[in-house]
Amino acid sequence: MWLGFWLAIFGLALGVVIGLNIPLLLPGAYAKYLSVAALAALDSIFGGIRAGMEDTFDNTIFITGFFSNALLAAGLAFVGERLGIDLYLAAVVAFGVRLFQNLAIIRRHLLKK
Amino acid sequence: MKWPMYISITLVALVTGLLLTFQFRVSSRIEQGVPTGRAQELATELHQLETEISQLQSEVNDLGAKLAQATKGQQEALAAMEGELVKAKIAAGLTAVSGPGVEIILDNPPLQRQTGRPASLYVIRDEDLLRIVNELRGAGAEAISINGQRIVATSEIRYAAPFINVNLTRIVPPYHILAIGKVDHLQAALSIPGGVVEYLKDLGVRVDIQTHDKLTVPAYTGTRQHLYAKPVQRR
Repeated sequence: MWLGFWLAIFGLALGVVIGLNIPLLLPGAYAKYLSVAALAALDSIFGGIRAGMEDTFDNTIFITGFFSNALLAAGLAFVGERLGIDLYLAAVVAFGVRLFQNLAIIRRHLLKK
Repeated sequence: MKWPMYISITLVALVTGLLLTFQFRVSSRIEQGVPTGRAQELATELHQLETEISQLQSEVNDLGAKLAQATKGQQEALAAMEGELVKAKIAAGLTAVSGPGVEIILDNPPLQRQTGRPASLYVIRDEDLLRIVNELRGAGAEAISINGQRIVATSEIRYAAPFINVNLTRIVPPYHILAIGKVDHLQAALSIPGGVVEYLKDLGVRVDIQTHDKLTVPAYTGTRQHLYAKPVQRR
């Protein structure tokens, strides 16, 4: 359990270091899609933590959910932009609601212990 | 059993860190940059200024053309005035002029070889020259000179003791009278039967009339002052 925690910290730190040192930057127009993708990723992570606490964690579901959610959210936002619909707002609302639900459940689990 | 989970946890954490950092950098850069509204404002301003520039450019071209026209007009006026000046100078005899004309050479009667006396006692007088000049003017001569003295409006031809004065300058025989004008008319006017040339020839004066395709009448060299005559103010 603690190994996983430290691995997560290590991975996050490595990602931050790489992200800070990457020389290229996305144009400002794509920042919206990236933000939605980041939100989806966060949602997946909290979902995974919740699943881990409920002992229903499935690695395959977690990893596919993470990437497919991020890519789908970004892709949906992109398509919405092309169609003139602010679909990224839908993604933000959906993921945001789920994120806070997961956070609340995680909190309850932590308090119960 | 547990290893795939750790690998996926690490991978997910790495990707999340990457995404968040990336997003953070992009967002901070956007905040530093020019806001969209401001950019549109600047673009509108730029467009307006470009329009203004093109308008001013066309105005510059217009004014340049006007200036060129005005300069051209001035030059034309100057050229016209210079032409007028040249005409006036020719009329006043202040410039040497050349053209077709006749040359009249008058000389007193020659001395006879045997006696050493003149064949005739007649001496050319001022009135003779005046008559010839008058005749030439009547025939349309445009410029006349006697022995290098241009005949102008104020010229006198006057007997003064043994000499004849023209333009207050003494002239002596032989008298060379140059006249520019239509050669036929000048010659015809001089050689009218009973005219001045025939009259002088009868008196024994040597008169020689030569026609020239091109002869030069000198300019009036004296000073000209108008102390009393003033132009009348025209209303």
